[in-house]
Amino acid sequence: MAALLEAEGLSKAFGGLVAVNGVSLSVSPGEVLGLIGPNGSGKTTLLNLIAGTTRPDAGAIRMDGEDVTRLPNHLRVRRRINRTFQLVRMPANLSAIETVMAGVLYGAGERVPFKEAGYVAAGLLGELNLLLKADRRLDQLTYIEQKRVELARALATRPSVLLLDEWLSGLGASELDGGMSVVWSLAARGIAVVLVEHVMTAVRALCGRVMVMNAGAKIAEGPPEEVLRNAEVIRAYLGDEDA
Amino acid sequence: MVGEDKPFPTRAALAIGSLVTLVVLLAALPWLLSDYGLSFMVSVMSYLVLTVAWALFSGPTRLVSLATSAFFGVGMYTVAMLIKLMPLYATFAVALGVGALLAGVVGVLTLRIAGMFFVIFGFGLSEMIRQLMVWWEINKTHTMGRYVFVPFDATLIYEHLLGLAVIVFFVGWQLRRARLGLALMVIGEDETVARQVGVNVPFAKVAIFVVSAMFMTMTGALMAPRYGFINPNFAFNPLVSFQVVIMAFLGGLQRLWGPALGVIPLIILSELLQTEFPFWFSVLLGIVFMVIVYFLPRGVTGLIEDGWKALGRPLELQRGLTGPLVDAWGWMSRPIILPRGIAGAIEDVWVKIAPQTKGRR
Repeated sequence: MAALLEAEGLSKAFGGLVAVNGVSLSVSPGEVLGLIGPNGSGKTTLLNLIAGTTRPDAGAIRMDGEDVTRLPNHLRVRRRINRTFQLVRMPANLSAIETVMAGVLYGAGERVPFKEAGYVAAGLLGELNLLLKADRRLDQLTYIEQKRVELARALATRPSVLLLDEWLSGLGASELDGGMSVVWSLAARGIAVVLVEHVMTAVRALCGRVMVMNAGAKIAEGPPEEVLRNAEVIRAYLGDEDA
Repeated sequence: MVGEDKPFPTRAALAIGSLVTLVVLLAALPWLLSDYGLSFMVSVMSYLVLTVAWALFSGPTRLVSLATSAFFGVGMYTVAMLIKLMPLYATFAVALGVGALLAGVVGVLTLRIAGMFFVIFGFGLSEMIRQLMVWWEINKTHTMGRYVFVPFDATLIYEHLLGLAVIVFFVGWQLRRARLGLALMVIGEDETVARQVGVNVPFAKVAIFVVSAMFMTMTGALMAPRYGFINPNFAFNPLVSFQVVIMAFLGGLQRLWGPALGVIPLIILSELLQTEFPFWFSVLLGIVFMVIVYFLPRGVTGLIEDGWKALGRPLELQRGLTGPLVDAWGWMSRPIILPRGIAGAIEDVWVKIAPQTKGRR
C-alpha cells in the first residue's frame, strides 16, 4: 500500500534538549500505526511536528505526495491532517456542537454552508454517542465525553490522517472496549491513524505496526508481538511504570 | 391580518417590528428635542457606535484595544484636511479607506503581541499619530488647526450616526451567525484549538480588527463637521479610547446590546464630572473605571440578568453562539506574559554556545 503520510528525518531540539532526533515515519490509509515509548521519549513532540503545532528543525513531511513541512497548522488541517491532544483542549465557553461546527466550517474539502454545519456536526456527535450532550460545555461533560468531543472536532475537518495522543488512556475496562472500536471504525473507513498510547492491550489489538521511541530516536519498528519482545524495547521501558 | 388560526404576529415579526419602531423613534428625535438634547444624543450615538465596534473586536478576541482614538482621529482629521479639496461625502470615503488601510497594517504588525503589550501599543499608536500630525502641521503646512465649515448640521450628523449604529448592530448580529464569528469565539477561548479546526488565526483577527476600525473611523469622520475647528490634539484625544473601554465594561460584553447599556450612564456621568469637578475629571473617571471592573465584572447586563433571576423567572442563558462572549473578569485576572528582555536574549545566546549544558539524555 502506498504511504499517505511520510515523514523523513524529523528533528526538533528545545534549547539543548533534542526531543526528536532524525525520526522517519510513514502511514497508509486504513492503517493504525502504534507509537510507543517511555514518558519524555518524544512521542508527543513528533506528533506536534506532523500536525504543525511546532516546526521541525530538520526533516520533511509529505502528505499525499505534497510537501507540507513549511505549512502552518491550519493549512495542514485543510490538507487533511488532524489530531487530538493528550490533555483535552476544548473552548470552555462553547458547547460541544459549536466546537464541532467550527471544524465542519473550516475543515478540508468543499465549504459547508453555515446553516448545514449544525446538522453535519450533530451527525458526527451522534456517531460518537454524544447527540444528547450536544449543547453541553466542557465542564458539563465527563472526561470520556470530552475525549469524544475532541475526536468529533478532529473528524469534523474531514481528516485522512488522524493523530491520537493517548486518546485511550484513563479509560476503564468497558470504556476501553468502546474506545477501541471507535479507533477500529476510523481505520475501517480508510483513515490513517497514528496512535500514541501507553495502553498495551489497545496497541496489541489495534496496531498492525508499532514504532518505539526512546530519548528522541526510533529504536524499533515492526509488528506489535515482535517489537514488544525486542530486548532494547524492554530495556527502554525498564523502571517505567507506564509500560 | 393573516388567517385566524395562524399565530400572528410571530416572535420574529414582533422583534423586527419593535426594532424598526425604535429606529424610527430615534430618527424622529431631532425634531422632538431641544438643541442641548440633540447634542447629547449626538454624543450618545457616536459613543454607541464606537463602543459596539470596539466590542466587535475586543469581545471575542479578548484583546483590549486602546487604538479607538487613533481611528476616530484619523477619520476626523482626514475630513478636516480634505474638506477644502473635495465634497464632504468624498472626504468620508477617503477617510474610510485610510482607516481601513491603517487598521490592516497595524493589525498585521501587532496582533501577535500578547495581552498587555497590545493594550500599550494601541495607546502608543494614537499618541504617535497625534505627535506626527502636530509636527506636520507646524513644520510643513504651518497651520495650527483646520476649519470644517460645511452645511452638515447636528441633525444630519445624528441621522448618519444612527444609520451607522444600525449597520454596526446588524454586522454584530450577523457575525454571531457566521463562520467568522464562530472562529473568533474559538480564537478567544483557545488559539491552538482554533488552528486545529483549520482557522487562519492571524487573518481572522486582522479581518475583524479592520471591520471594527472602519466603524470607528467613520464615526470620527461624521463628527468632524460637528466641531468647526479641529487640531490634532483634539482629534486624537486619548480620552476617547479610555471612555469606550469603560463604557463597554460597564455595559458588559456578554451580549451584543451589552456595551450599549454602558454608554448613556457614562456620558451623563462624564458631563456631570466635567462641569462640576473640571480639575478632578480624569481622577474621578479613573476611580469609576476601577469600581466598575471590581464590582460589576459582568457589567449592567450581568445586573439585569441577576435581577431577572431574583424575580424567580430564571432567564435561560443560552451558551455559546448567542451566549456569553467574554467574561471580563476572566480577562482581567489572566496572567500577563512578561517579555523576556535582555535576560532572555542572554539565555538564548547561552543555549547556542553551550548546547550540551542541559545534556542529551
